[in-house]
Amino acid sequence: MITRNLFAAIMSTTIFSLLCALIFLLMDGVDVSLTEAAVGAGISTILYLSALKHTHIIIKPSKHAAAPLVVIFILMLILLGAMTYDIPNVGEPNSASNSRVTQHYIDRSNKEMGIPNMVTSILASYRGFDTLGEVVVIFIAGISVIGILRNKKAKS
Amino acid sequence: MKQHTIPRIITKLIVPFILLFGLYVQFHGEISAGGGFQAGVIFASGFILYNVIFGINVGEKILPIGLTISIMAFGIFLYIFVGLLGILMGGNYLDYNLLGESKVQGQIIGIFLVELGVGITVSSVMILIYYSFNKFEDNK
Repeated sequence: MITRNLFAAIMSTTIFSLLCALIFLLMDGVDVSLTEAAVGAGISTILYLSALKHTHIIIKPSKHAAAPLVVIFILMLILLGAMTYDIPNVGEPNSASNSRVTQHYIDRSNKEMGIPNMVTSILASYRGFDTLGEVVVIFIAGISVIGILRNKKAKS
Repeated sequence: MKQHTIPRIITKLIVPFILLFGLYVQFHGEISAGGGFQAGVIFASGFILYNVIFGINVGEKILPIGLTISIMAFGIFLYIFVGLLGILMGGNYLDYNLLGESKVQGQIIGIFLVELGVGITVSSVMILIYYSFNKFEDNK
């Protein structure tokens, strides 16, 4: 869908996120689905709409030629499409992600952590350092947004 | 937005439940879906919804920008502190086994505190980004 109306673009992104959340739910990824519904469909829509206040709803046609971009887009589409053949099928028992580590988590998570939700135990404890990095990334994103927008006010 | 009656009434009805659901996801992350990140986002979206309808000045009275920045830093500090607590108790960084009387109890305490830190940071960052977009107006 090609549109110059940013409001329509934001709404399509939201609907796409909501559909993705439903797909994740059907594939039993409840935690991912909740994240997608809350972040993709919920808060990012609000933040996009807030950003829309600072710009025009209809974007002007670009002065640059569109052809190179279209070529890159189609190339990326073909490349990424070809890559999807290497992704193992859903629930494939011999795939890399379903090898020993997963079995370890399934067997021992409840015994070692005493909590039923395996996703939480992996995120917070087995891979606590990864999560710390993620939180630092979000923290830095917050700081940068304040920095950029405060400077903007000071200049004008 | 202040003169639209229906959105105002609906928001007043719905915001407490959104905040409560956020807290539920935060504190029951270990037995049901979700965790600190989702809880933070849900909590922030409830607060932002209130701001959208009633104006940003009302929200800012509850949660000023300076306080939000401090809370944001506090969340990440809590996470790092729990990690350091593992070292102080004689284990590795982010090792929760030694925080409680038994290993399992220690893990439960550690996961709870860490998720709380994540939730606090995420919700305050989201609120802060919303503030930044709406507060610091550019004079175009």
